[in-house]
Amino acid sequence: MSTDQIIVQIEHVSKYFGSFKALSDVSLDVYDGEKLVIIGPSGSGKSTLLRAINLLECVDEGRIIVDGTNIVDPTADINKIREEVGMVFQSFNLFPHKTVMENVNLAQMIVRKRSKEEATKISTELLKKVDILEKENDYPGKLSGGQQQRVAIARALAMKPKIMLFDEPTSALDPEMIGEVLTVMKKLAREGITMIVVTHEMGFAREVADRIIFMDSGMIVEQGTPRDFFEHTKNERAKAFLDKIL
Amino acid sequence: MPKPWKKKQSHIEVSEGGAIPTRNDWGLFSAWRIAFFGAILMVVCLVFFKPDPYLDILKFLPDGILVTFKVTLMSIALSLVFGLIAGLGRISENRLFNGISSLYVEIIRGIPLLVQLFYIYYALGQVVNLSAITCAVVSMSICYGAYIAEIFRAGIKSIPEGQTEAARSLGMTPFQTMRYVILPQAVKTILPPVGNEFVALLKDSSLVSILAVSDLLRRGREFAAQSFDYFEAFTMVALFYLIITLILSKLVGIMEDKINVD
Repeated sequence: MSTDQIIVQIEHVSKYFGSFKALSDVSLDVYDGEKLVIIGPSGSGKSTLLRAINLLECVDEGRIIVDGTNIVDPTADINKIREEVGMVFQSFNLFPHKTVMENVNLAQMIVRKRSKEEATKISTELLKKVDILEKENDYPGKLSGGQQQRVAIARALAMKPKIMLFDEPTSALDPEMIGEVLTVMKKLAREGITMIVVTHEMGFAREVADRIIFMDSGMIVEQGTPRDFFEHTKNERAKAFLDKIL
Repeated sequence: MPKPWKKKQSHIEVSEGGAIPTRNDWGLFSAWRIAFFGAILMVVCLVFFKPDPYLDILKFLPDGILVTFKVTLMSIALSLVFGLIAGLGRISENRLFNGISSLYVEIIRGIPLLVQLFYIYYALGQVVNLSAITCAVVSMSICYGAYIAEIFRAGIKSIPEGQTEAARSLGMTPFQTMRYVILPQAVKTILPPVGNEFVALLKDSSLVSILAVSDLLRRGREFAAQSFDYFEAFTMVALFYLIITLILSKLVGIMEDKINVD
């Protein structure tokens, strides 16, 4: 951790889907520069919690403070906050009618109001970083899943966010493509940006995470450093989960 | 129709050409050709072999064709505006906007166009004084706007939710998301059915002839009323409508192909 400053503060957050309680009184502080990995069985609320941080899901109770702004407050300028929070999705969600370069340029130009030259310069740099610059003029439909996901990471980074959210970024990928995406994410982790990652890749969690959060039934039931979590967890549910997947 | 981006997770090989089936199979294409050139040939033959009265009809009708074009084009432009606004209203989370749009669509689709034409021309004509052609364009646009709104709504809904989420998570406003991400993609789904509406609108524009708008049909009636050549006049009117409609549907087809290639 680079500093001890809290950048995301989640306070007593609850969320219902009808009568189903997806999040149940969750509280969590994320520190600036921290690499946080959230794991847990499906339906445990980990994706919901992640999506709540940039308000793709609105919560029913509690407060979420991102970089000093309470985003649950209806008067908060949500677009402003989302500029600071990059998001990478399981299904990539690249814009299919735009080329790779245009995908990375678009929000820079219309949200950040950068000129095309300026945006292209930043995009070129980022596409080089995720090692896909040679495809800059292709449409997403021609790329493999792993390539699309790397473009999606570049697109989110182009906004120069303070926080990056990853929602199961490798779950939709063929096994041989998972590695190339994780490599990019590890590279990113070394640069000190705050990362919150929902994943099933335990190797990645062990290697990159400063802290691991284990969720079940909408609650955080266990957290700790990778070493504590993987080797010394006392929590029964976490143990059962780890036994199943490791 | 091939839409490579729908298969998000697969790698699409693009062949050198020829492998992608074209929209028009041969049967449809030749049917269009037979109808189109047949109609033109028939007009030419009739005028050539029986100039009286066909040549006179041929000279008499073009004014009406221009009026039909004018009414159709203005109605298309205006109905697109109504359709887009009401279509966005139908998917809006704003209750009032949504409610008004839904009401508009339900009411207008439940009243025959002919009744709407009468209503705007005669009933509203008592309150505000509008020219026949204005009334015609306004009622056609209101009517077709309601149908087009439903096409817009369906087209916008057909774009996966993830596209909106991706755009919003990059800080785009709902308007920017619609303008730069959703609509450009939805156009491909929207265009074919909207094109069909245009063709239908062109044909329905013949209804405005009862508002004393001198369109193609009315010119035919006027000619027939003077000369009593009902058979000849309406044969020519029908052939002209057929030719114009076939041209328009061809144009719509070409436009679709263009958009699909881009």
